[in-house]
Amino acid sequence: METTIVRPGRESAPGETGTLRLEWRADGSLWALRGDEERAVSVRRCFPWTEPLRHLSLRDADEEEFAFVRDPADLDARSRAALDAALAVAGFVFAVTRVLEIDEEVEIRRWRVETRQGPRTFQTRLDDWPRTLPHGGLLIRDLAGDLYHLARPETLDRQSRELLWAFVD
Amino acid sequence: MSTLQHLDDHIIARYTAQPSRLPPELRGQIEHAWEGAPVQLYALADLDQSLRLAETWLALGSRHVAMARREGTSWQVKSVERAEIEAVREAPGLSANTLTILGAPGEPALVLLRYTHRQRRAFENIRFVLEETLNGHERDVPAVDADRVYADSVARPIREAQALVSGRQTAVIRRLLAYLKPYRRQLTLGMAAATLITLVSLVPPYLAGYLIDRVVRPAQTGTLPVSTAATIAWLAVGAMALVYLVRQPAVHVRLRLMSILGEWVARDLRAELYEHIQRLSLSFFSRKRTGSLITRVSADTDRLWDFLAFGVVDVSLSLVMLVGLGTVLLTLDWRLGLVMTLPVPVFCWLIYRHSEQITRLFIRAWRKWSRVTDVLSDTIPGIRVVKAFNQEQREIGRFGERNEDVTAEFNRIHASWTRFWPLLMLGVHGMTVAVWVFAVPRLLGSGAELPVGTFVSFLLYTTMFAAPIEVIGQMARTINRATTSAHRVFEVLDTEPEIRDVADPVRLEPVHGKVTFEHVTFGYDGVRQVLRGVSFDVAPGELIGLVGPSGGGKTTIVNLIARFYDVTGGTIRVDGVDIRRLDTGHYRRQIGMVLQDPYLFHGTVLDNIRYGMPEAPLSQVVAAAQAANAHDFITKLQHGYDTVVGERGHTLSGGERQRVSIARAILHDPRILILDEATSSVDTETEREIQQALERLVAGRTVFAIAHRLSTLRKASRLFVIEDGRLVEHGTHAELLVQPEGKYRKLYELQMQLA
Repeated sequence: METTIVRPGRESAPGETGTLRLEWRADGSLWALRGDEERAVSVRRCFPWTEPLRHLSLRDADEEEFAFVRDPADLDARSRAALDAALAVAGFVFAVTRVLEIDEEVEIRRWRVETRQGPRTFQTRLDDWPRTLPHGGLLIRDLAGDLYHLARPETLDRQSRELLWAFVD
Repeated sequence: MSTLQHLDDHIIARYTAQPSRLPPELRGQIEHAWEGAPVQLYALADLDQSLRLAETWLALGSRHVAMARREGTSWQVKSVERAEIEAVREAPGLSANTLTILGAPGEPALVLLRYTHRQRRAFENIRFVLEETLNGHERDVPAVDADRVYADSVARPIREAQALVSGRQTAVIRRLLAYLKPYRRQLTLGMAAATLITLVSLVPPYLAGYLIDRVVRPAQTGTLPVSTAATIAWLAVGAMALVYLVRQPAVHVRLRLMSILGEWVARDLRAELYEHIQRLSLSFFSRKRTGSLITRVSADTDRLWDFLAFGVVDVSLSLVMLVGLGTVLLTLDWRLGLVMTLPVPVFCWLIYRHSEQITRLFIRAWRKWSRVTDVLSDTIPGIRVVKAFNQEQREIGRFGERNEDVTAEFNRIHASWTRFWPLLMLGVHGMTVAVWVFAVPRLLGSGAELPVGTFVSFLLYTTMFAAPIEVIGQMARTINRATTSAHRVFEVLDTEPEIRDVADPVRLEPVHGKVTFEHVTFGYDGVRQVLRGVSFDVAPGELIGLVGPSGGGKTTIVNLIARFYDVTGGTIRVDGVDIRRLDTGHYRRQIGMVLQDPYLFHGTVLDNIRYGMPEAPLSQVVAAAQAANAHDFITKLQHGYDTVVGERGHTLSGGERQRVSIARAILHDPRILILDEATSSVDTETEREIQQALERLVAGRTVFAIAHRLSTLRKASRLFVIEDGRLVEHGTHAELLVQPEGKYRKLYELQMQLA
């Protein structure tokens, strides 16, 4: 297994590897275990858009990196399943399925959309443009910091495409 | 209910589609379960465990937390005693955050909630209070209005981006037009001139028709004597000349008066805006981008000038012109009049549609233009890095690609309008052709009689339709642009300064410099406290060193001493008087500040040193510069004290700028001096020179000095160690060093090891 374990307060040294196990516990947290060390951790994707499923940083409550997972395939099946569940939460963004309205007001742009999670209204600054992602698709960040992903804008319905026309290359 | 609360409620209702407060029946249910104990704070968890949008509330009381989930028409409430809570965790995600409230180790989580960033601030407030309790600081949690805190936390990002929720457009226009009141005379004259221009413009076509029908043709057919016809014709020609003689001076009066009037209004707005900005509190500037404020004073007032000088008159007179033209044409011949007037609304609608389409094209072009400026703002300030990594060709390529892209978008805009306007004009000419089509049979004798002169008048009036149609078609855009600018200007004007003097403020003359903090608490957002019950007493002339980790509250203490903010709890006294009772302007004149990154204004070295005392004699300026160890380097400059230092003093080195700022403080002669990391960003030799200057500066004043390099504070009368918003240790350098487990001692030893 290639997973690198980083001990708190130290940089990861080349070749310093160990067995990492991950599990969900009754307290609702993901726990990382290595030998006699265990810690509740949260997952951070290092490349959320370039390579979302690899290079994962497991961080404890003090935001210190406890372990670094280069590739979840290196983990055992149970740990991988636990990691997948954590990734679903850590990587959650709204998935836009339809654009109903884009309107401009003083200083802000108002969006009304349907998402896989339900209908949503949000606002962006007028000069905050949707970002084109490395593997295609658009990412919009609203004023509060929430993210909205349009995986394939060209496959949306006609009205959505027309509304999005000014924002897509 | 306060105005801000009302505004926040409105923002939540209009923009977020979520409840603007905890449902009253749920609040009642929770408080009933808590035996009447009130809900202190609450937050909405808007995601469920499967990450779908949902509605779950978390409420905090003095002894409980409650989680409530909607089940049909009722609420399922789970209440937990705070005494059971042993840990609180928050795991942030890209858009889903998780709050876990834990009881005994190994037991299931007491509460586990997921929520978007929109709710995060409200959850952080609750987490802060719970963690305070867990850290044993429960007594410091302030009493707050739960509705207010919740509404503020959800609405704040939108309020800060927009601040003023769009009021009714008509109300904004009315408020804007009120700025014309002082110039009623000029406005009346300008409008009268513009009305005159419109009305007299209708005369020449009428005269042409009259001449043909009543003079030329009767003379040709012999029904009117030639001599009479000649007299009338020359009179008509004279009248026509008179029309133009009246029209052109009216054009001059209108253009001149209205443009000058617009400038006056823009000047008034700029002055009012700038004066108001100067009075606003620091918190306002931390919320707003500098560029946005500059735009409001410059570009927005300029746009309002354009609207007031020309927009208002153009729009109203275009309406008058269209109504006038329509009336004249229908009066002359109702059949041809209908041919001419019926298509007008269609043309206006087509222009409106075109401007909507152009707006979309402009959004696209604007987005691509911002990609071009991104490259410029990246590479021009970072040109050294570009060159160091030999990336010039790559950057040229990047710029070229984006430049091509934006050019294509602008060409698309040009393609659109160059296609539309000829087509529209074709439509207008089509009206003329239609007039011919309807008129020719009548001119030749079939159908109702049509005098040739009337027909000629029609043809001349046709040419006058295009301009007002265009203005009316663009009216919505013109008004939208003006109201947007007006909103941005009024938003600043409507912001109240948070620091205001009491009715009869106290002037301390002179200030002795005794500073007392009595249980001072302070938070920038009402709940999370940056200072928690800080108390100390500083005698006049003492040098107090403020030390401790970053984010501990040191800068907040000096900001409160300068009264940039007011305390949220406790009292600060200067010479025994509550700082809130002092005349702020007078008090601040007694305060000097030397900051880590000194700010110099565009101007000469002399202007900068004299900034606080513009009338100071030159001899005092030189003395201050000498005391600040600045005189030598200043006299080496080509223009000496008259050297222009450039924007923010960029032509001087960091150490030179710092010494100029110290000279400025010395000349200002403050009674209370604040040094915020004054020597942290300079080399050792410069630091020595600055340290010497500072020693001269601090003599005889009360000084608060923040420094991370503890060695610079050895001469302090006392040191205050500030950590996590509290005064955790105080004493002289020697006293603190002998405390075996002291924080200061640890910090000092750590720095000595690193030295």
